Amino acid sequence: MTDATTTIEGLTGLGLLLTALYLQSESFLDPMVNGIAVQSALLAALLGWLAYIDRSGELAVVAALVLLLRVVVIPYLLRAQIRAFRWRAREMRASQRVTGHALLAVVVAIVAWFLFQETLAPALPPLPGIALPFVLLAEGLLMLATRSNTLVQVIGYLEEENAVVYAGVLYVVAFPFLIEAVVFLDVLGVVLVSIILSIQRDVIGVPEEEVLEELTG
Amino acid sequence: MIAATGPEAWTIVVLAAPVVGSLAALTVGDALSEPIARAASLLTWIAASVLLALGAHQVWGSYFGVDPVSDLFLFLVASVYAMSTWYSRGYLAHVTAPFLTPRRYYALLGAFAFAMLLALSVTDLGLMWVGVEATTVASALLIVLERRPASVEAAWRYTLIASAGLTIALFALIFLYRATGTLDAFALAARPVAASLPVAIAVALALVGYGTKIGLFPMHTWLPDAHSQAPSPVSAMFSGVLLPTALYAFLRIYAVVARPVPAALSDLVILFGLATAVGAALLLQRQRSYKRLFAYSSMEVMGIAVVGIGVGGIALYGALVLVVAHAFAKSAAFYCSGNVLRRTGTARIDEVRDLRRRLPWTAGTWVLSATAVTGAPPFGTFVGELLILSGALLAGADWVAAVLAGAVILAFLGVNGQIGGMVFGSEAKGTAREPDPVAELGIPWMGLAVCLAMGLVAVPFLAPAIRAAALALGGAL
Repeated sequence: MTDATTTIEGLTGLGLLLTALYLQSESFLDPMVNGIAVQSALLAALLGWLAYIDRSGELAVVAALVLLLRVVVIPYLLRAQIRAFRWRAREMRASQRVTGHALLAVVVAIVAWFLFQETLAPALPPLPGIALPFVLLAEGLLMLATRSNTLVQVIGYLEEENAVVYAGVLYVVAFPFLIEAVVFLDVLGVVLVSIILSIQRDVIGVPEEEVLEELTG
Repeated sequence: MIAATGPEAWTIVVLAAPVVGSLAALTVGDALSEPIARAASLLTWIAASVLLALGAHQVWGSYFGVDPVSDLFLFLVASVYAMSTWYSRGYLAHVTAPFLTPRRYYALLGAFAFAMLLALSVTDLGLMWVGVEATTVASALLIVLERRPASVEAAWRYTLIASAGLTIALFALIFLYRATGTLDAFALAARPVAASLPVAIAVALALVGYGTKIGLFPMHTWLPDAHSQAPSPVSAMFSGVLLPTALYAFLRIYAVVARPVPAALSDLVILFGLATAVGAALLLQRQRSYKRLFAYSSMEVMGIAVVGIGVGGIALYGALVLVVAHAFAKSAAFYCSGNVLRRTGTARIDEVRDLRRRLPWTAGTWVLSATAVTGAPPFGTFVGELLILSGALLAGADWVAAVLAGAVILAFLGVNGQIGGMVFGSEAKGTAREPDPVAELGIPWMGLAVCLAMGLVAVPFLAPAIRAAALALGGAL
């Protein structure tokens, strides 16, 4: 692997981390969808570069799939939901404490980094940014756990999936192509089902008392 | 004739029947969707039974193959899929303003079964992951059938938590691929690798990742919600075969490690299993909903099975016996729960009383199902749990056996005490007597009969298949 590739991988990782922190500090949905699209575009660019360097047709297809599904199709679906249900345009609960979210995100990133160094790092080569997929995974989980808006939670899930793709690039360079491709379709399925459920949640409504009554214990 | 047709053809039937059935159900309309789905599920069951009887062991192409372990789990999924499909008619009849039309319901039920069957008939661990993840996509909308706020919330939690957990399982595959250069489960099982750090990390991440779907503590939070809110035939598939399918995926990764498994790794597996069994046994003590009660009972059984896997040897054999017997018994318990729900209109334990008079046949079947799922003799679940406890004692893990025995007793008392209260408790005010749906008890009785037979005799084809699967996984008998 060339120095240029190593540098590009590290810089991409930095970009992914910065977009992750940006997403945590946002409460408006439109910029968040843009943020996850930018994060996915960075990933697609890295895959494209690796495809060019390795002259790998399979990596080029994976890059194209990331670009098509995570930069174009899924953000389009999410934006359509925001347009259809305007009250989703801002997460009200989060808007009251975005500073707290941002600080928490930084703390989680640091803890995840240390945890990675203590547990997983010895099993991997000492590359720059090697801890970043793990940090990104932790940020995605944090978003799932702390946000209440269903579309924001979908964005958290996508962030986790981006972490997996980045880990695949850093840890094994080329994960088997067929697996990558089918995983992308699976993720699209999860997003579509999430959107249907999200609509039902709004249409049927979520009366806290009934839900608490039936889903406790 | 049957033997002359190779395992490949029968596996194609197993995979194609639910897909064709689903597509046909979608296109023909509501009236014909049910008979088509029934025929498809029956065909799937017949093909899976043939694979089990043949003891099929064959790989074809780069990604597909079956062996005694997959034969056993394919049979299990096909059996519960068929039972749930045939049971669904009566249940759907009472759902007012459902979220899914019958044709969509049966199509999704088939898709759900197909996703599990796919995960069980591939050799590639990556495609196996895809199959397990696809079960979430296919089944999430089934939970919303009754269109209640709580069911939508449960489906949402299920989708997010299960998918997030499975992302961690995908990380496990990346580590495994890095360490071994392949994701071929059959090739890796034939030549297990030493538990190097990357391999150990892969197993640990798989335990957490697939553990989310298995319902291991503390990643189990989606399980009681989804099981309790899903319609009963779907709850039966969740408890009976979805959890074992995720367990199968973990077993395949665990089988990659050369025997004897390092103590640190097997202890981790045992610890997760024990925490789950004990946690579930405690949580089920004071449940408000009988469906949640059975959901926690499933979690407890999965915990015990995971302990059996961690202990290995005869306990691993016991884990397979337990998983198979539990699938049949728990399906019966959920079908009976469906009957009770339809006749009483409530899933609350404190609102259901005097079932022995109101629904005597359903109540009797329900009591037997409850004792079966909690490992009472002479059911197959008892044999499985006894083998796991014996295995722990033989391995010198006395404390594991003691804690496990405590969890088993606690769960037995908790489940049967609460079911007993509903069946034998005095009649609640204002409740009317309804006709007992005796005709709909045939399916639960089939499940109970298999579970009972497993405890009394060596069931033809099934008993040798479980032994072969245990041997294939390195379990001693």
